[in-house]
Amino acid sequence: MKKQYAFLVDSERCIGCFTCAMACRNYYQQEKGVVWRHVYPLSEEIYPHRERAFFSLACNHCENPTCLNVCPVEAYTKREDGVVVHHQEKCIGCGNCIRSCPYGAPVYNPVEKRAEKCSFCHERLDAGLLPACVQSCPTEALKLVDLATLEPGNHVQFPPGFPKNDKVNPSTRFILPKVPTMVRR
Amino acid sequence: MQSMELPLVLFTVLSQAAIGLVLMNAVRQRRCAGPGEGNVRMEWTLIAAFMGVGIAASLFHLGHPLESYRALVHLEKAWLSREVLAAGIFFALAVLAAITARGKGSPVLMWASILAGLSVLLASGMTYAPPALPAVNNALPTVFFLISAVVLGAGFASWFAGAENQPLLARIFVTALVVGLVVRLTVPCAWLSGSEVMRQTGMAWLGAPLYWVHVALMAACLGVLWKNRTIPVWLPILALAAELAGRAVFFSQTIHTAMNIGGVY
Repeated sequence: MKKQYAFLVDSERCIGCFTCAMACRNYYQQEKGVVWRHVYPLSEEIYPHRERAFFSLACNHCENPTCLNVCPVEAYTKREDGVVVHHQEKCIGCGNCIRSCPYGAPVYNPVEKRAEKCSFCHERLDAGLLPACVQSCPTEALKLVDLATLEPGNHVQFPPGFPKNDKVNPSTRFILPKVPTMVRR
Repeated sequence: MQSMELPLVLFTVLSQAAIGLVLMNAVRQRRCAGPGEGNVRMEWTLIAAFMGVGIAASLFHLGHPLESYRALVHLEKAWLSREVLAAGIFFALAVLAAITARGKGSPVLMWASILAGLSVLLASGMTYAPPALPAVNNALPTVFFLISAVVLGAGFASWFAGAENQPLLARIFVTALVVGLVVRLTVPCAWLSGSEVMRQTGMAWLGAPLYWVHVALMAACLGVLWKNRTIPVWLPILALAAELAGRAVFFSQTIHTAMNIGGVY
């Protein structure tokens, strides 16, 4: 398998503090309303416990990215390391990627009038640094992995609460939250 | 609810009216033994005007309309690029046909326009069937667009058809309206028994006032034809209003998968 950088989201560790999302905003100084990383709480139908569980999600840097396939101006490219990069200077703001990505990763920048999305902090990766979100996570719930070398384990690709789309093959992997220990007194 | 995408509503509906007119023009001219039926130049002018206004409207959904010409660079994979190319070719052919129209008009231009028009319908259908919208990530957009083309094409063609072809156009108009009504009423109901996002889409469509406006206007068109037997001159305008309302529902009420992340799919 070719190199494919991916986010490993450990929902057992995630406490829903939004530090990852804040770090992303702080690093890129995005416009108001433009959010690359979201922290989604799992609904009680999926995780029916008093404790809450979360998925921290940005772009999934898919193997067969919908955004790249539908973009009429070829504003998206996929790097050798699997990172899907949006070249904003090429974008004409048609919104086709926003409408088409099953994970809602590309968003519209109303000031630039162009789309944009998580870049996996590829300039930081190239400098040997971790993405801002991964580096900021206080519980190490968000990790950078390479799917080519990721050992088989208890991680899954399509957990409940995450849209299943085999065709685009998202790279993000998840460790599911455990059922909390019930203490009866 | 997502954006109504008015520029795309106008582009898709007006382009489909233009394509429908070309299809009906072909049907009529083939049945006509004489030099041609109606004012062919005016008909092609209306076709070009519909497509021209539609293309102009579509530019308003772009963040950078002046760079729209670059949308042609990804023909290899992007259906949107193919849609832009096919719509451009169709518009050019329609303008050429309007300028050179004599008698029945050029059969080469007519058949080339039909081919380009059907390509626009297919490319539009594929463009608006993305994986993020599971309810319409299938052939439904193409079916919706084809029905709109036939309804509007038959309606507006009645402005140019002679008396002998009016009953034929009325039959095509009624048939397309009945098929359209059946599809429009059954599809959201079928979604209700689908996956969570499809169910939400079905609920959103059925709960949207514009959806019922669309259905009511289509039914009203049928009622008028039931009484008149021919297409009154104002009826295509009513059908156009119906299709605009329906298309607004298509763009604004179809639920995106990302809206349910963290929930059951």
